Parts: sequence; C-alpha cells; structure tokens
Amino acid sequence: MTAAARTPYTDRNFKYLLIVPAVATILLVGLFPVIYSLILSFQNVDMMFEDTSFQGAKHYRALIGDARFWESLGHTLLFLVIALPAELILGLAMAYLFLDRMPGRQVFVALLVLPVTISPVVAGATWRLLFDNRFGPINQILGWFSDEPVTILWTIDPSFVYAAILMAEIWQWTPFMFLLLLAALSNVDRSQIEAAELDGAGFWRRFRLVILPAIWPVMAIAILIRALDLFRLFDVVWALTRGGPGTMTETFSIYAYVLGFQQFETSYTAAMSFVVILILVVTITIVLRRMEIER
Amino acid sequence: MMRPDRGTGLALRYVAAVAVTLLFLFPVYWLFMISFKTPEEIFASPPVWWPKSLQLANYAVLFKDGDVVTIWNSVVIASVSTAAAMIIGTMCAYSIARFRTGGNFFTDWLLSNRMVPPIVIVFPVFLLYVKVGLVDSYLGLILLYTAFNLPYVVWMMRGYIQDIPLELEESALVDGCTRWQVFLRVVLPMARSGFFATAVFTFVFAWNEFIFALVLTRAEVTTFPVQVTHYFGGQSNFWAKIAAMSALGTIPIFIAVTLLQRYLVRGISLGAVKG
Amino acid sequence: MGRLSIEGVHKHYGKVHALKGVDLDIAEGEFCVFVGPSGCGKSTLLRCIAGLEEIDEGRVRIDGEAVEGLRPRDRNVAMVFQNYALYPYLSVFENIAFGLRARKVPDAEVRARVGRAAAMLGLETFLDRKPRELSGGQRQRVAIGRAVVRDARLFLFDEPLSNLDAQLRDGMRAEIKRLHQEIGKTTVYVTHDQIEAMTLADRIVLLRDGRIEQQGAPLDLFERPETRFVAGFLGSPQMNFIPCRAEGGALRFSCGRSLPLSRPAPEGRDLLFGVRPEHFSRPGEGDPRPRLDVEIDLVQPTGARTYAQFRLGGVEATAELPAHAVERPGARIALAADMARAHLFDAATGRAIRD
Repeated sequence: MTAAARTPYTDRNFKYLLIVPAVATILLVGLFPVIYSLILSFQNVDMMFEDTSFQGAKHYRALIGDARFWESLGHTLLFLVIALPAELILGLAMAYLFLDRMPGRQVFVALLVLPVTISPVVAGATWRLLFDNRFGPINQILGWFSDEPVTILWTIDPSFVYAAILMAEIWQWTPFMFLLLLAALSNVDRSQIEAAELDGAGFWRRFRLVILPAIWPVMAIAILIRALDLFRLFDVVWALTRGGPGTMTETFSIYAYVLGFQQFETSYTAAMSFVVILILVVTITIVLRRMEIER
Repeated sequence: MMRPDRGTGLALRYVAAVAVTLLFLFPVYWLFMISFKTPEEIFASPPVWWPKSLQLANYAVLFKDGDVVTIWNSVVIASVSTAAAMIIGTMCAYSIARFRTGGNFFTDWLLSNRMVPPIVIVFPVFLLYVKVGLVDSYLGLILLYTAFNLPYVVWMMRGYIQDIPLELEESALVDGCTRWQVFLRVVLPMARSGFFATAVFTFVFAWNEFIFALVLTRAEVTTFPVQVTHYFGGQSNFWAKIAAMSALGTIPIFIAVTLLQRYLVRGISLGAVKG
Repeated sequence: MGRLSIEGVHKHYGKVHALKGVDLDIAEGEFCVFVGPSGCGKSTLLRCIAGLEEIDEGRVRIDGEAVEGLRPRDRNVAMVFQNYALYPYLSVFENIAFGLRARKVPDAEVRARVGRAAAMLGLETFLDRKPRELSGGQRQRVAIGRAVVRDARLFLFDEPLSNLDAQLRDGMRAEIKRLHQEIGKTTVYVTHDQIEAMTLADRIVLLRDGRIEQQGAPLDLFERPETRFVAGFLGSPQMNFIPCRAEGGALRFSCGRSLPLSRPAPEGRDLLFGVRPEHFSRPGEGDPRPRLDVEIDLVQPTGARTYAQFRLGGVEATAELPAHAVERPGARIALAADMARAHLFDAATGRAIRD
C-alpha cells in the first residue's frame, strides 16, 4: 500500500510554484513601492528634512489647491481628447485604403508600422529636428506656400507647441490604430457586408450596423491601450518642450517628475501619485463596467 | 456597390497609398539622412534634401567619444530583463492558463499593474533604490524592467498556451512525464513561435523605455534613449549625434519588427487580434 | 498483468455529478468498451483510470494496487487520444519514442522497441517524417504506436476513431482488434459508436448519466437488454417501442390491433412492446404466425434492405424488409413479428419484463 500512503498528487503544489517568482517580482518592485509611497504621502519628507511624523492629509489638502497640478491634468486630458480621436479616425481611413488587395500591400503595411516601434524619445528628437526654425524641413515646406520665409518656433511659440506635440504623437501612433483596425476589418465576414449591400444599405448604414459591431472588440482594446498611454504621456513632450514654454504643455507625468526629482518634494509627490492612481482606478472601473454592459 | 472602373480605382488607391506611406516615412528618412550628413549639410538653409555622399563620420564620433557604450548598456539591460521576464512570466502564464491559479482576480491584478503610470511607480522605487544602492546599476533597471514587462509576458503567453491542444499535455502525462517535463518538453516547444515573438516585443519595450532609465541612471548605465536627450542642449551642434545615436538605436528594432511581421498585430493588440 | 478494478467511484465537476458510484472489474487481457450517449460519464471514467482526473470517492486498483492517489506517470498505463495528440515538432520516430525518452530508457533499447512497434503498424517508411506529412489514418497509427511501444499495464482509448472518415474507420477498427489479439493487453476503449462497441468488445459497459446501465458480452446486451435504454441504444435502426397493455393473453395497442402473447405478462399496466425492425417480416402463405395489417407511409431503400415505416399503437414503427418487399408508400401489407425475440418493458420504469 505504498501508493495510498504517498501524498496524493505530488504535483498539487506545481501550479503555485510556477507563479511564485512572478508574484515575488511584482510585489517587490510594484506593490511594495506603492505602499511605501502611501506611507510617505502622510509624512513630511523633502530634500532637506526627513520628518516621518504623521501629518494627516496635509499634502492631499494642499494638492486640492495646487493649480499647477490641476492644469497638468488638464493638459494631459487635452492631449488625450485630441490625439485619440485623430489617431482613430486617421487609422480607420488608412485601414480602409489598404483593406482591398493591391500589389505590394504587405510592403506598405510593413513600412507604415515603423513609427510605432521607435522609442518615443527618439520620435520626439526626430520631430525636434524636423521642427527646427532655420534648418528644419517643415518651415521650409510651409515657405513654399508663402511669400516670405516661414520661421515658426514650433517648440517655443505658445501658439504652436500643442500642434507640434500633437503632430509628433499622432504621427507615431496612428499606424498603431491603422494596424489593429486593418486586422479587424479584414476579419469581418464579407458575406454579412454583401448581404447588407443587397438589402440596399448605404455605406454609413453598413458601417454602423455590420462593420462597427464586428470590429468593436478590437477597436475597444485599441482605444483602451492608447488612452492609458496618452494618460501617462511623458517622453514625446519631454523631448520636444520639457513641458514648456513655462508650464504650458506640462502633463501630470512631467509635473510629478519635476516635483519629485528636481524639487525633491518627496511626500507631496507621493500624495500626488496616489490621487492620480485613484483617478485612474475609478475611471477604468467605470469604463470597463460600461463596456461589460454593452457586451 | 457602384464602383468606378476597377483599373482606375486601383490606380487611385495606389497613388493614395504611396502618398500616405511617404508622409509617414518622411520623418524616419530625415532622421537617417541627418545622421549621414556633413555639418555643412546639416546646417544649410534651405535644408539639403539628399546628402552628397553617405559619410559615416557622425557614427565614428559616437564610437570615438565612447557614447556607444549607452547602446551596450541598453543591450545588456534589455536582454537580461527580457530573458528574466520571459522565464518567470511564461511559468506564471502556464499556471494561469491551465490551472486557473488565483482565478480571475489574480489575472486582473497582474494586468492592472501594467496600467499604472510609470511615473507613479518610479518615484518610490527611486527612494528604495537610493536606500539599497541600486541607483545607476544594471541590476536596478533589470529588476524594474522585468517586473514592468511581466504582466505583458503573462498575458501574451497565456493566450499562446491556451492555443495548445490540452490532449498533447495529457498524453505526455500518461506517457510518463512529470509536470515540469510537460512544461519543458511539450508546452515550450509548442509555444515557441509565440514565445519568441513575445520576447522580441518585451525586448523592444525595455529598449525604448525612457522614464525609468532617466530617473534611475546617472553616468554608469545610461541607456541610449536617455543619451539622446543628453544631446538636447539648446546648441544645435549636437544634431549629428542626436541623429546618429537615434539611428543606431532604431535600426535593430526595425529589423526585429520586420522579421516578426506575422506576430505584430497580436503582439501590440495584447492578443485581441489573433494573426 | 493488467487487472483493473473500480469500486464506488464518484466524480463531481462543480455542481455536476459526473460519476455516481461506478463498480467494475476488468479481467486481464479483456477488451472492455465503455459506450453511452455524450455526457454519460464514459470519458470521465477513462480519465479517472488514467489519472488525468482525480476521483472524489472510491477506489481504482490496477493489479490490486490502489492507484487513485498516483500521478498518471506512476500508473503505467498508455492512452490514445481522439485527436491523436502527436507532437508536430517531433518526427514520427520521436513521437513514438516520447514515452520511453521521458522514462530515460537507453537509446539502443528505444531504437529496438520503436522499430518493433513501427513494423507492427506498418510505419517503418514514415519514421523520419513529421506528423503533418501523414494522412489521418497514419497519424492514428502513430498514436497507437506510442501506446504499444511502452510496456504499459493497460491500454486506454478515448474515441480514437471519431476523427476518421467512415471508410478508414472500418479499417482501423479491424486493425485495433487484430492488435489486441496479438498483444493481448487489457484494453479499455471509449466510444459513442455502438457498432464499434459491438465489434470490438469482449465486454460492453453501457453508461448512462454517471452510472453503469448494463454490462456484459455484446450479444448478451443486444439480445437481453435489461432496460429500454439499453435496448434502444444498441442496434440500428433503433428498436421499436410501441405502447400497449396486456389483456387476456394478448397485447392490445391503442389503435385497436392486438398480438397474442407467447408468455405471460402483467396485466393492467402500461407496457412497451419492443421489437427490432429486423424482427418484422412478411409472412408467406400458410405462415401460422399472427398477422398485423399495416399501411406503409414511408419507404427508405438502402440497397440490400429496405426500411418501411408504418403507424402502430399511435407511434411510428419501422420494419426492415428485403430490398423489393415494398415499392412505394400507401401499400397495405401484412407483417409478422418474431415474438420470441421481442421484448416487453414497463413503460413507467423502463425495466424489461422477464418471465
């Protein structure tokens, strides 16, 4: 009876053994710092003093009155509400352009994908070169349509900085939308579209009633991924304007960086991080609920 | 649907396709061209659209000044963290895919880690690293990138593993494999193309990452994206270096992604589209 | 070697009670077929024997050793799966050798044993190929080879032929039977196909709803079904079940017709008269058997035999007749039923009524 005496299923712990390293890593580098940060946010630590006494919600209260914080959130949101629809619509239009077979389609798609793969910092740097007021090609090209030389200071002039950042951002991520929507559109059941066509449905009706529901699962994921990325927008802005002129293009990520790593307002930054996480969690929960209901 | 004559329609679409592609590639072209230009060509007004010769002096300077060490730093950090994330993450993915370990809650929690903005994580990590002396070290960034990429690896590999017929694993179990043997001898070979695709994307994320590297490196282990921003000084005479360094850091990614075309959509859509 | 005994096995999947106390003894060398409709628990029972599922209650013994706590690898059984479960990245040779490699058998012995298994299955010329270069039948052979090559105590087959087309299936069925005769290893075989069950089995175990409905030799089950379910499951076309009552030594149907009974039956209860289509025939001149005059409403010729449908006792019944016995619907003919081979079932419980 050796068999019965042995612990049944020696593999029983196998599934837990498999996840231990992953959980440990994430706890160590993900959860632990967040908790540490939560504690800090109730203390009074900065560059000069390490005052670890309990301060209550002092920093959170200060944050409510911090106009620069709310402005930075506003800038982030502004980038999001312009860039996201622009990328979506442009990407969809491009996906339609490449939907039907044409010779060399694969090559076009392979080339169009390249911007997505570039480091956002490098993308920012590239556009900095393009936007240069004297030696950059953009002002040069604009000059062809104007009588006198164009010398726009794209990354400095308040009237143009948003346009500059948005152009770089939209250039880099429209292909992302394009690629996903192209794949989604290619998977739409052609016979359904043809059936709608035979029923006399026009383009918009077909799009709304047949195509959109079919591509929506992919589109929703694409929107979610891009929205989360735009919410943390940092690299491109850093490379192009560093949040300037002044704090005009400062996203909350940049403001947090400035606070934490240039002004060393440790506890205050921690509090800010928490408010942002809170906003994010609430928004995502609401959005996901909505999407769940729609499904 | 009423269509224009097929030939004309195709020709029109072709013209539009070429125009769109050129528009999107122009910035890349410009970046690479500057890296080949002489200083006179870079600082010419009107700009030089096509350099006289493709000279490599700008790259040579990077080697001479030792700036390329940042590329090496990126190679070390991205490859080691990718290897670690792939090993740890694939194990975890297997557990979730086949045993539903921790249920939906565990999977959701893992994924939600990916949604947290890096700036929020990096601040406490920095304070922690200062205390334990991990700032400006390979280990510090490797650890962080491993953790940061884990949710992605787990999520993607879970999808690839779920595509493997369960019977293959059961057959191996009956044939005499232990659970570990099944994982190593059946699951990994069956998922290998997805595994490599995921590894490449993970590598690209680590390679391109900026905020963590900006905060956690000083002089010793600066990665190439941080090095690129070091050239922004207001004086435009660093243009050649910006372009050459950027090009150097971008070419390997272009090659990798082009080779992986087939897995690209699945990789960037977090598995929402199965190619 | 290869005695299997199962005692009081229960298995739950969440709220579903998949096995409700199964007891079974399979002798050494026996070919035992689990058959039943989908969801009856036949595959679950097989997987419990293999160790791919844990049982909640009961005992599974192989050669007297309790194995329910053992991992699949420690039970030393071999299994063939429905979808072949071949490793696409390994050659046919390595697929067959997989179990031996996992057990770290020396290379020379691996070669010898794979060679023997391949010869037995006619796979010698395919050993270097990858599974995707093989036909469905060849793949199934490789899957069987992987089981044969090991010195396992039991062979388990989980619907191995259901992915093959009809012609190949007949061939492979014969081959599996031949293989069993050659090797003589205890085999447990799961199928939903009653023809496979009848042709292959030394013993059929018919499962229904997590319990054994009846077990025994194939013809035993076919000729002496204990329940209406068994009678209906085996045989194609299905046995006719005609509602009736016994009165004064005869069966009376709701349509007014009746048949004299050859043996006593309980009166005053709703009964089902069970007769297989092939046990109807057209009585010749001077046939002493009682006749049923029926009107044929549907004729289905199959070539050798013709199925004719007619109404009896308020239900549609089928008779299997010689090819040209009936030409078109509407024909009025006389039929005789072979009462000695007919059955009576209690309509309420479904149990057979025996003398």
